[in-house]
Amino acid sequence: MPPELAALHSFLAIGAVLFGVGLIGFLSRRNMIVMFLSVEMMLQGVSLSLVAWGRYHNDLGGQMLVVFIIAVAACEAAIALALVLMLFERKNHLDIAMWQELRESNQPLFEEEPLPPQSDEEPAHWPHLTPAGVLPESVAEKESFRRKV
Amino acid sequence: MESYIPKLLIAIPALPLAAAAIVAVLGKRILREQSHWPVALALAGSCLASVVLIFAVQQAQKDHRHEHVVRLWTWAVVQGAGSGEQGAESGERGGSTPYSVLSTTNSGLSSPAFRMDIVLRADSLTAIMLGMVTFVSTLVVIYANGYMHGDPGYWRFFAYVALFVFSMTMLVSVSNFVLLYVFWEAVGLCSYLLIGFWFEKPAAAAAGLKAFLVNRIGDFGFALGVFLLWTTFGTLDFHDSKVETIPATPGHVATTIVRVDPQEIEDPNVPGTVEPGIFGGHHVPVVGRLTKDHPFGEGAVVTAICLLLFVGACGKSAQFPLHVWLPDAMEGPTPVSALIHAATMVTAGIYLVARCTPLYAASPDAQAVVSTIGGFTALLAALIALTQTDLKRILAYSTVSQLGYMFLALGTGSQLGVTAGMFHLFTHAFFKALLFLGAGSVMHAMGGVIDIRQFGGLRRKLPITHWTFLFGCLALSGIFPFAGFWSKDAILAAVAEKAGEAQSGWIYEYLYYAGTITAFLTAFYTFRAYFLTFQGDERIPKEAGHHAHESPAAMTGPLVILAIGALGVGAYFQWMGDFLKPDGFLMQTPVLKALQIQAEPAGYHVPVVATYPWSPHLTVALISTAVALAGIAVAWLFYVARPDLAESATKPAKLLGLYALSHGKFFIDEIYAALIVRPLEALAALLALVDRYVIDGTVNACGAFPRALGAMLRPLQGGLVQFYALVMALGVLALVGALLW
Repeated sequence: MPPELAALHSFLAIGAVLFGVGLIGFLSRRNMIVMFLSVEMMLQGVSLSLVAWGRYHNDLGGQMLVVFIIAVAACEAAIALALVLMLFERKNHLDIAMWQELRESNQPLFEEEPLPPQSDEEPAHWPHLTPAGVLPESVAEKESFRRKV
Repeated sequence: MESYIPKLLIAIPALPLAAAAIVAVLGKRILREQSHWPVALALAGSCLASVVLIFAVQQAQKDHRHEHVVRLWTWAVVQGAGSGEQGAESGERGGSTPYSVLSTTNSGLSSPAFRMDIVLRADSLTAIMLGMVTFVSTLVVIYANGYMHGDPGYWRFFAYVALFVFSMTMLVSVSNFVLLYVFWEAVGLCSYLLIGFWFEKPAAAAAGLKAFLVNRIGDFGFALGVFLLWTTFGTLDFHDSKVETIPATPGHVATTIVRVDPQEIEDPNVPGTVEPGIFGGHHVPVVGRLTKDHPFGEGAVVTAICLLLFVGACGKSAQFPLHVWLPDAMEGPTPVSALIHAATMVTAGIYLVARCTPLYAASPDAQAVVSTIGGFTALLAALIALTQTDLKRILAYSTVSQLGYMFLALGTGSQLGVTAGMFHLFTHAFFKALLFLGAGSVMHAMGGVIDIRQFGGLRRKLPITHWTFLFGCLALSGIFPFAGFWSKDAILAAVAEKAGEAQSGWIYEYLYYAGTITAFLTAFYTFRAYFLTFQGDERIPKEAGHHAHESPAAMTGPLVILAIGALGVGAYFQWMGDFLKPDGFLMQTPVLKALQIQAEPAGYHVPVVATYPWSPHLTVALISTAVALAGIAVAWLFYVARPDLAESATKPAKLLGLYALSHGKFFIDEIYAALIVRPLEALAALLALVDRYVIDGTVNACGAFPRALGAMLRPLQGGLVQFYALVMALGVLALVGALLW
């Protein structure tokens, strides 16, 4: 296998992975910003493969196209973020499942199962990984911050 | 003078049309109570033009020019309608049989096309009809000026009448069956509009509808007849002709060359000219040549054409079994009854049969049917008229009866018969219009009451109406020397003569008896109406109020003129020879010329002009006069001298139910209702159900299928964005997979 082809294969593989990860992210995440990020990732995957092909064929068309894609993506990002902001203003929430009004009128509303009630009590044991090295030093500030994520 | 003929022919219908347009546009707002002026002036102009036309046509006949055809423009051309193969085929067959040439299509045309021209014609028949129509309509319009005074639809009435006169003058002057059909329908439309003139009256609206629908049956037959004419002869023009050379075998020449003018035939053995046109040129058309001696003449096709055309004539001229509309048409204004339903429109059927004389001459069977229907209708209507109490209805049944007389005469197929029929048409127009207008004058004075039991002894209140009505009654009864005497006598003489013939003479013998009995009944019912209305004690219904006086001059003037006509036209034309003589004006019509050839010996080419006794048939005249006088005497006895005798004399008839039968108009309306209307209504109800459940069901099912499909696909639209995205991604995957496969 000539080195150019090998390089192309690597690039394309990475592009495909980027695209696939973005797709899965878009389909599985409900946070609108994260979904948007996933879409960007898909775009980058495609851009990468375009650049790779352009390089392989020694044709600057691929690169040129990517420049355009980046420009368009920038605009799109501005619009998408504005939209997300507006939607967030309406419902005070970023969950895409809050926006189901566009369904057919006689279709049932999708409702997720309610989460089990969460007690404020500290669990007896935090789950932990088996330390493979030195346990990092615990900082009180960080501990409290982590709990909220 | 002949050069004026085209102008006159165009002017006669154009003037009423222009008047109709003017009144229709300006009548409601501007002309109002003056709406009669344009119409009266236009009709007077048309009448004048018609008189000039008669003289012009007469002048031209001296130069052996018997018909004048004016082609205005071509209305429509349908290429290839008459197949060219047919023409070629018949040309080939021309060698084998002498008759095949009759089926040659596209006479006078080089290309095989169905071509329809707006084309007018003038010959004696048309000229006489035009003169009669415009004369009577002018008088009726003058009369209507008085009669319709103060009616809210004054302008509408005159617009309709002018439109009617346009249609009627076109009807008698077109030279093409298609145009004839068009104006046949146009007069029917005007009749409908005028019967239903007072449309807020339910009876009038229903009567208009009935007239229209019954006429539709007749028109259907007429249309089929025209189609059959086209497929048989390949032309629908009256004047069409085609010159074609055929082999000079003696048989051919004998059966095809016929010319009216003996000088025009030089040598019978040279190849001659063939005229397959229906009523072509001033040569006698081939159809006219076909007699019972020739195979084609007995052809079922000609009989079928004749009978189909006669169905149309039956509808328009109110013959049994389609006569039911005419008595109901009396719901219209009386001038309309006089003009359309007595004098002019109802004679269109007579005109049609007279115009198609060569066809009927080719089919003795059709002639017998025409005569039989005519004679039967005459008798039936006269029987019904005996017991009617509505003055206008008596006159309406009398019209039906007289029209029956005319068909009886036309059906004899002899020269005398056809001329007598046309003569009766002409005289009848005068005296029947007179009687109707007189009845209208009575109605006017009686405040709209028309029941003869409600009034009586009006001779002092309405002197002019009384005298003119009496003249009309005498003419209708056929009393010497009134107009009806001459024409009715001619009809009965023609039938009596035909009865003497060997073939199917027995039919005409019975028809002669029927005609004579009808003459008696006519005199009786006419004078019954007259005596009850004008003689006896003076009785005036309270509806009359202060109206019970003589009508204004606008109404009595036309009455007087028509009364003079009813007295004089018969004798005048009898002795002037314009009608009945073999060389008279009417017989110069090309189609009637054909009849004169009938006497030609078979297989011989020189026409022999038949002679017939055109002078009054003395025996027939004596019998019919005696019978009519007897009818008048019986009427006088029953209704003036001894009213009690009438009671006792009619008692047995009442017991037998004959009176009810006559009074109920032989229950023909009821029979139609039971046999035709009810089953049709039931069928309609059934079909309405089929429509609602079967047809609508099918259509609704077609609509329900997409709905069901949509309902199935609707859950896909769940409102979850990521589900859409998933479907999209899977779709792209499937597409890519399909591409890569």
